[in-house]
Amino acid sequence: MRLLGQIATRLISYVLVIAFGLTVVFFVPRFAPNDPVEAMLAQVSSQGAYMDAAQADALRASLTDAFGLKGSMLTQYWNFIKRIVLTGDFGPSLAMYPTPVSQLIAQALPWTFGLLLSSTLIAWVLGNFVGLWAGWRPNRASSRIMEGLAIIVYPIPYYILALVLSILFSYIWPIFPLTASVHGAPWSFAFIRSVIWNSFLPALSIVLVVFGWWVISVKAQTTQLAEEEFVRYSRLKGLGDGRILTRYILPNAILPQITFLALQIGLMFNGAIVTEILFEYPGLGHLIYTAVIQGDYNLLMGTISLSIVAVATATMIIDLTYPLLDPRIRAR
Amino acid sequence: MIELKNVRAGYGTPDSFVAAVDDVSLTVNDNEILGIAGESGCGKSTLMRTLYGDFSGGLKMAGGQVTGRFTDPDSGRTTTSEANRFQDLWWDVMSYVPQGSMSVLNPIMKIEKQIVDALPKREKKGSKAELRQRIVEFLAGFGLPETVLDSYPHQLSGGMRQRVLVAIAAFVRPRLILADEPTTALDVVVQKRILLMLVEIQRRLKNTLVLVSHDLGVHYQITDRIAIAYAGKIVEVGPTAEVFESPRNPYTEALIGALPRVGQKGERVGLEGRPPSLASPPEGCRFAARCPEAQAICRKVSPPLADKAPNHASACHFR
Repeated sequence: MRLLGQIATRLISYVLVIAFGLTVVFFVPRFAPNDPVEAMLAQVSSQGAYMDAAQADALRASLTDAFGLKGSMLTQYWNFIKRIVLTGDFGPSLAMYPTPVSQLIAQALPWTFGLLLSSTLIAWVLGNFVGLWAGWRPNRASSRIMEGLAIIVYPIPYYILALVLSILFSYIWPIFPLTASVHGAPWSFAFIRSVIWNSFLPALSIVLVVFGWWVISVKAQTTQLAEEEFVRYSRLKGLGDGRILTRYILPNAILPQITFLALQIGLMFNGAIVTEILFEYPGLGHLIYTAVIQGDYNLLMGTISLSIVAVATATMIIDLTYPLLDPRIRAR
Repeated sequence: MIELKNVRAGYGTPDSFVAAVDDVSLTVNDNEILGIAGESGCGKSTLMRTLYGDFSGGLKMAGGQVTGRFTDPDSGRTTTSEANRFQDLWWDVMSYVPQGSMSVLNPIMKIEKQIVDALPKREKKGSKAELRQRIVEFLAGFGLPETVLDSYPHQLSGGMRQRVLVAIAAFVRPRLILADEPTTALDVVVQKRILLMLVEIQRRLKNTLVLVSHDLGVHYQITDRIAIAYAGKIVEVGPTAEVFESPRNPYTEALIGALPRVGQKGERVGLEGRPPSLASPPEGCRFAARCPEAQAICRKVSPPLADKAPNHASACHFR
């Protein structure tokens, strides 16, 4: 019963966080000084289309309706929430009118997800493995080399690394493409190969930097744990190194890393903005960039809302599953 | 039985070696409870680690010999080993009870696993259920309920944790149990339970229990023999009752004199000064600077540990 109560509390706070986030997403653009309808009208007339006053009024009315700007602020808000919750519809993109925002996101999502999920997981597994080893045997040459590499790579901003990689491997030695272009029939071998080919450099730039961070953090954990009394005691019980490492140190060292991983996966929905722009990679980051540059409110609201929901969901999942991993957190 | 001959053990490099145990000879007999007492920094923990063969964290043996001869009561087979090979005997022939603290057990592993994972092969014969049943019965003998096995360390009280630590060490029926301050940081009621448990185990297994504690009361209650350590040396060793009754060393006398007694009025008198640095120990007797009976010879010649009565040795020129 206590457990159910805890889950219920957590779910309620989840809903509240999202509601608050969506409210901010709704109100902030409405307090901005520019009017998207007028901007759109100006764009249309600047393209040389002639409209008389009646036509302009009709267009204004239909745009206001399409953008969800009709009625009082409160009705707009209510309609906005209703639309999102019921249909996940953020309206049409203003820059790529009339393509719906949801469709643009749906197109970009697999790209970002494929890139970030794979690079994050690779970096996580590699980083934890190397960090664990470096912390367990800090005096080995291999540990020192890997740790040195991690410390050198970790403070480099990923976009600088991306730029360097791009110049090196797309320009000086043109091994990888400079911008993403995918060919082949969907899900054919050629298609998958071309996706991996195109994602390689952006993924590498993310893996390297994130890897450094995982190495450093898990190494610190491991060194500290190796000094713990229970590790010394397990050694005095005659347990072998392998067993101590896998049963006593690893499970304890990995707990905070799981939290970080879940948060990272939540943040994934922002995309790796600069990486995606640099490599012309058609993911969410690129989409957000386009939305900002072109003043595409609906698209911006859609991507930001998605990111809010994703982070809130990720943290909720950690909170709910953590007691399964760490008995000390369990309800007593 | 473990025999220490002129053991010198400590930390550092050959150029700057700090001998926390310096030229110690001591015999630990079968079927006895030996206490090692002394103040902080006297080398009793280093002596304990040397006895257990735990040469990690920079501890090195710089001289002497530690030989263990352990006879299995069932098969009558004798195992002989040197300290640097004792590691192979851990949790089989010898086991260890650490000072129980919050962090001495793996916080995210159930107690049952922490008992089972250290067991030698001979104990793992039979099914898992059988093994669990044996552990349950063993724990019940010490008033520990079965639920302990499915608990995590944080769910147990301090006293229970310590009893679990004793039980983990005793379950393998070792010939030698080393207990390092097993009752420190526990209240007296729990202390008594732990001590009784240790004694009961020793009586049952007829093995050797070495108990390290700074608490003379603990030694008085349960040990058969006691060794008093001071500044890296054993200064007196003998039957506990006899040592308390008629100490043959001024340091032991001062230690016992510092114990409070019921009905006593006024303040107890302590010793002036501090023990000498182990990095540069003084010539002669290490206690000379603080000894009320010190003479000129004490500052020049280090007194050997010599028998003053049957089985009762002391390192003093005058007693």
